[in-house]
Amino acid sequence: MEKFVQLVVDGLSTGSVYAALALAIVLVHSATGLVNFAQGGMAVLAAYVAWVLTNQGVPLILAILASIIFSFLLGAVLERFLMRRFERGDPDTAVVVTIGLLTLITGIAGWLWGYNNQQFPSLFPLDTVSVLGVSVSIRSLGTTLVIVVAMVAMQALFAGTKLGLALRAVAINPQSAGYSGLPVERLLMVGWGLAAVLGAVAGALVAPQLTLTPGMLDSALVYALAAVILGGLTSPVGVVVAAWLIGVLENLAAVYVGFIGFDLKVAVPFILIFVVLIVRPQGLFGRKTVVRV
Amino acid sequence: MASSSKTSAPTTPAPASSAAASSASSFRQRPWVRWGAPLLLVVGLAVLPLVMTESANDTLARIGVFAVAVLGLNVVMGYTGQVSLGQIFFLGLGAYVTAYGVQSGWNIGLVFVLTCFIPAVVGLLVALAAARLGGLAIAMVTIALPIVGVPLAKRLSEFTGGSQGLSARFVAAPEGSGLYDDQWQLYIVLVIGGIVFLLTYFLVRGKYGRAFAIVKGNENVASSMGISPYRYKVLAFTIASLIGGVSGFLYMVVVQYTSPETMSFGHSIELLVAMVIGGAGSIVGSLLGGVFYVVVPDITNAIDPSLTALLQGALLLAVLFVLPGGLVSLPRAVMRGLRRSSTGRGSAAPPTTPSSTSGSGTAAEPTETERQGSA
Amino acid sequence: MNRHFGSRQAVGIAAVSALALTLTACGGGRDSGRSGDAAEGAPSPGITDDSVTLGITTPLSGATAGPGTCTVAGVTAYFGMKNAEGGVEFGDGQTRTVEIEALDDTYDPQQAAANYDSLKDDVFAMTAGLGTPTNRAWREAAIADEVPQALIMTGDPLFSDTEESPWQLGFVPIYQNEGEAFGELLASSSEEHRVAILSQNDDFGAGYVEGFKSAVEGADNIEIVEELTYEATDTSVDAQITQLAASDADVFFNAMSVTPLVISALQQAQQLNWLPNWFLPSNTSSPGAILQPGGADAFPGIYSVSFSKAPQSPAFAEDEDVQTYLSALAEYGNYPDPPAFPHCQWSWMVGATLEQAFMEMEEPTRDSFMEALRSIEDFQAPLMLEGTAVTTSEDGQPAVSTLNVQKYNGTGYDTVESFE
Repeated sequence: MEKFVQLVVDGLSTGSVYAALALAIVLVHSATGLVNFAQGGMAVLAAYVAWVLTNQGVPLILAILASIIFSFLLGAVLERFLMRRFERGDPDTAVVVTIGLLTLITGIAGWLWGYNNQQFPSLFPLDTVSVLGVSVSIRSLGTTLVIVVAMVAMQALFAGTKLGLALRAVAINPQSAGYSGLPVERLLMVGWGLAAVLGAVAGALVAPQLTLTPGMLDSALVYALAAVILGGLTSPVGVVVAAWLIGVLENLAAVYVGFIGFDLKVAVPFILIFVVLIVRPQGLFGRKTVVRV
Repeated sequence: MASSSKTSAPTTPAPASSAAASSASSFRQRPWVRWGAPLLLVVGLAVLPLVMTESANDTLARIGVFAVAVLGLNVVMGYTGQVSLGQIFFLGLGAYVTAYGVQSGWNIGLVFVLTCFIPAVVGLLVALAAARLGGLAIAMVTIALPIVGVPLAKRLSEFTGGSQGLSARFVAAPEGSGLYDDQWQLYIVLVIGGIVFLLTYFLVRGKYGRAFAIVKGNENVASSMGISPYRYKVLAFTIASLIGGVSGFLYMVVVQYTSPETMSFGHSIELLVAMVIGGAGSIVGSLLGGVFYVVVPDITNAIDPSLTALLQGALLLAVLFVLPGGLVSLPRAVMRGLRRSSTGRGSAAPPTTPSSTSGSGTAAEPTETERQGSA
Repeated sequence: MNRHFGSRQAVGIAAVSALALTLTACGGGRDSGRSGDAAEGAPSPGITDDSVTLGITTPLSGATAGPGTCTVAGVTAYFGMKNAEGGVEFGDGQTRTVEIEALDDTYDPQQAAANYDSLKDDVFAMTAGLGTPTNRAWREAAIADEVPQALIMTGDPLFSDTEESPWQLGFVPIYQNEGEAFGELLASSSEEHRVAILSQNDDFGAGYVEGFKSAVEGADNIEIVEELTYEATDTSVDAQITQLAASDADVFFNAMSVTPLVISALQQAQQLNWLPNWFLPSNTSSPGAILQPGGADAFPGIYSVSFSKAPQSPAFAEDEDVQTYLSALAEYGNYPDPPAFPHCQWSWMVGATLEQAFMEMEEPTRDSFMEALRSIEDFQAPLMLEGTAVTTSEDGQPAVSTLNVQKYNGTGYDTVESFE
């Protein structure tokens, strides 16, 4: 029983890593209607910026704040000067552009900082608290807490603020949003900027655990995408829950389902997606969207 | 004429009189040109392996392998509009079937049939489930194929050689042919690849291609026309898997080795990139996609091997920034530029410009395909 | 109709541009690779009277770029230093500079084979490349073309089998050797031990486990209580550690090659208060890059095997070898930081071993090179630990087959003779 609970806790902690990246992907999707493969790459770039600053003696929290500002500008600039050309075109092309962006950013990070694993200081101590025989690290708790805060903030942004509604309106139909007087182009830039900010937070949270390398978030990306689809593209709460679910079920399946084991546990999120989407095509928490013709 | 071809319903033939608009096209219409040009192409391809260097032959053969893989992806994605991130799995499966068959000493003809059949059946089974989903969900289910395929290949080490992979050198040039191995391999790739391209060309120009295009355009419209989107999605996916299997056979002809890394998920993404860069929904685009897939890593290696990722990313973005419709739209883009600079008259503008239509370059060819098929 | 011809015209343009790209991409000499049998004693490709060119295909981008970059940096730095001193004196009396041509294969076997194809006519020998599948992909082609595939970075035993691989030789110990070395140490312990195993799900992990098991087979003080695997692409091994901790083993045999996963495994075990003796392979036991961030001091013993000095270890900070190496790496290898991967050291030793072979080869031919390469006995390469040496004449063994078992002392490693 103790082992079971520990596996659940471990799964939640791994799931939080996926959730951090997934939230950023959902934000950019909600704001621009696009799945951004480069989100992880941008987060890594932000983490490198913070890392370089801490090496210069800047306190960690200030370094992360600086990387957040950097990310907002980076996101906005990328939207304005790169993505805009593809936003009204074929969505497949736009997705491929984000793949190209991921390759480029990874290459730049490798060029500037090499492929050595770099130690990234953690915001939270590595101490452990023990509850009923189950160990939880303060770091996992802290990460989870920040993610929950980000999730609530995002939910509030889209549900309750003018900016959030405007962002969503632009994503759903940029043309009619423009007709109703919304500054569409600026909103798209803000959407990308905010998503990059969330990515920067995610990067700073997971870099201590994964260690900083140009490809740090590459394997997390697939899980994050799975969480995004499973949770429903429109719901921050949904993707976080989905990410945790994936992390936990993966662990439990690996340990308790003989033929899956640790080598095929990667199949779990996909089986889950398939089963859930057959029943609920809009995802666990997603809104039903009307298909545009 | 330009606007008519864009807006007319796919099944409406365009007025025949408008076809022969310029003197250039009437020249191209002459029978000896119509038959001579492809003949010239075939002869050129037959001579090419004999006159090129060994490494040029190798490169061309690898282009053939991945052009076929991209072509398969185009059938399901470019023509039918279903995002598939699993194409490399079928290439890997085909390669494994080939390697295993060759190592077991089976007849090579049987091996080839199996490399078509097994991936097609697996593709069919996956599609029966996956085609119930749409949009991004189908992307996630197909992405699972390479991601689960890699550990699965390791687990089935009895058949796959585990992570050490399988070697099979089975395509030495026959005695007495006077050919070098690289020439013989290239001939095999040209013949098999050529047949696959030809068959696919007829497929997408025929009634199945029309149905694919309608399913891609709007599934509700398809249903109302009595075309079952589900059935055609399954069909397209199965054909794509079969073509993927063939590319796996060619992979073994050229590379002669396969391992779980062959079907790693990153390569599936690269195939998608190659398809879009070449030109989605285009036969020629598939070929150009194969060229991009193979030649770009070689070029970036030649420039600076330690900056390959950076250069590849930059190159990809540069190409799409200039040609959002892919490399296949280059001639049109150039022509447009030339006409604009020489005459400045709007009437000569080409029928569709990939960047301005909502469906981009992908929409252009299927539409034209319909007209061609029914004309 | 004209659209139809538009696309046909595109076919032609596509074919021509494909051809043009191909021809520019590979300007190799006409048919040079096809002839195969040159006149006896005539120089092989890639070697002239004053220079020799070596080829490397290795991952320089992607997930394995870290160690991959190192495999190029070490040997490039070594010969950069030698070239600056005037070059290497070969056995035929000529002094030659050594040039390295490295290409990126992103750990893709197909690209590795393509890289080999494009290099084989211009280089004298291939060397130092990282990876099992990426080296296997062109092994048979290298045999057919009679191109040396010398001192490569894989512990796959196939490359050390002279019968199967006449033109190949691995450099690093085969994985089985490393596992075996630790197994023997453990089996000689006077106490009973319960062992938990976690290994990478590929030939790397399987090789370690195979070697370990063969060494402890029949030792009645050793019981293997739990055995799990992980994938190199996993982001976490916490669940495995949790399950292994529940077995309450007192020895943990951890055949892992992914740096962040080793660090987080060390941390997770501490969080669960599972503190076994811990074995790590030679490529993931760096004191500075792994053990200190992982808080390895908490464990009673961290054991590893090695044949090279660790530049991060204070024990070797003043070592002359290490200082020469680090300054050459920065100056000629384009690698300013002290490397986190031992592959840089190994690659440096590859350079020194190649130099030995060059000094012995009597003709500028690949045949003569392979003969010289296979007759090195007990060569103490720079950076090698005492008690280890390069010996290439033993069939079935790579260039390095002797290993020291070491124990972590809080800052670096000490060689140990017994398990305590």
